[in-house]
Amino acid sequence: MWSYFANPERFDRLARAVIPWCWGSAALLFVIGLPWALVVSPPDYQQSDTVRIMYVHVPAAWLAMFAYAGLGASSFVYFIWRHNLADVAARAIAPAGAVFAFLCLATGAIWGKPMWGAWWVWDARLTSMLVLFLLYLGYMALRAAIEDERLAARAGAILAMAGLINLPIIKFSVDWWNTLHQPASVIRFDGPTIHASKLWPLSVMAIAFTVLFTAIVLTGMRTLILTRRADALERAEERRQETEARSAEPNAVFNPEAAS
Amino acid sequence: MNAALAIFQREMRLAWSGGGGPAGPAAFNLAALALFPLALGPSPDTLAAAGPGVIAFAMLLSVLQPAERLFGEDAFDGTLEGYALSGASLTLICLMKTLAFACAVFWPAPLLAFAGGVAYGMSVEAALVLALGLMLAAPGLALIAGFAAALAAGVKRAGLLIALIAAPLQVPLLVFASGAGRAMIDAPHLVLANLTLTAAASLAALALTPFAIAAALRARLE
Repeated sequence: MWSYFANPERFDRLARAVIPWCWGSAALLFVIGLPWALVVSPPDYQQSDTVRIMYVHVPAAWLAMFAYAGLGASSFVYFIWRHNLADVAARAIAPAGAVFAFLCLATGAIWGKPMWGAWWVWDARLTSMLVLFLLYLGYMALRAAIEDERLAARAGAILAMAGLINLPIIKFSVDWWNTLHQPASVIRFDGPTIHASKLWPLSVMAIAFTVLFTAIVLTGMRTLILTRRADALERAEERRQETEARSAEPNAVFNPEAAS
Repeated sequence: MNAALAIFQREMRLAWSGGGGPAGPAAFNLAALALFPLALGPSPDTLAAAGPGVIAFAMLLSVLQPAERLFGEDAFDGTLEGYALSGASLTLICLMKTLAFACAVFWPAPLLAFAGGVAYGMSVEAALVLALGLMLAAPGLALIAGFAAALAAGVKRAGLLIALIAAPLQVPLLVFASGAGRAMIDAPHLVLANLTLTAAASLAALALTPFAIAAALRARLE
């Protein structure tokens, strides 16, 4: 099944057909979801209008985690089957995931200021999201530092898989770290279950974000593939011109008399 | 098995001769411990409360500091190819290499942690528990740093990259080891749990990272 999608030609055809639909439906969903979430949906009885930040914050958090799972999965596929396309997917997912993690942290801070009275609280959830953000940064820094593209892909895949294995342990340790000194914290989300008037816009926003993420990743993948192909063509063209120049005057290079 | 022993001995000797053994990281660790109070202020209460975290963090920094040496040169001078051709398992070689490095370089860290803990005004018991926790964490910290070093081997200015890669992965060990010290101060019933969790995280690193290190190095060989 992997091999079916691993064909770059086939992927390109599929992606070219799917990408406009993704962008279009993402735009449509945001046109519905944003006014619904930010204007129409009722304010919270405790948080009043600040609750609307949640409609951006929660999908961003969800996608930051989902993207890391995707990064790990495509790294695994690349590592085992060596499909270049899986590596391209990993490369396209990482920056998108990092941006969503950052968006989650930033909206969390904006929400935290009026609600908790502080921009940042060392809550277990916030801290694990911060560590996840650091994992993304490490992955991207490693790939950027290694020049050999194939080596960068292998090293990145190994790091992403190690991060994926470690993530639950990090999550557990951070929960543990937080509960050691602050039992029964104020910061709890498991209050009353969310009401339908908020659940619906939240679902729309979550789907909108997911479709947007898919569009970003697919577009990123196509860009990477095309860049790579363009580079290869350019190199081939340079080589062709070089050999042509050489065959035109065969003695030009190895003629010591001409050089002196 | 002989090959593994030989590598262990070679690495021990290399660490002592070339890099000055534990001197560099220990001095770095000590400098960090000496500077933290200057940044935090001299209040004994603050220092005693911050002690476990600060000391564990200083050790983490000192583990990251020499990691670049571990695989940096092997990638270029043909040692790596030699290992791959030796017929011995690359995983076992990586395990022995990293452990030997950890044994040769990081043994003063728990002692420093104990001395530092007392100097920061922690009780002797708390300092002992913290030192024990850091001793249990040391193999795990070294293996994760070694993993990052294997990934970054051959990269210019690998040190920074190693720190960025290893730090998030070392979070659990840092939490549990310093947690043991903190628990001794204000929640003694959690000391054992923290120590066992430190040991568990270290053992998990022991079981998994050698394969990851070997895979990272093998990618370099192709």
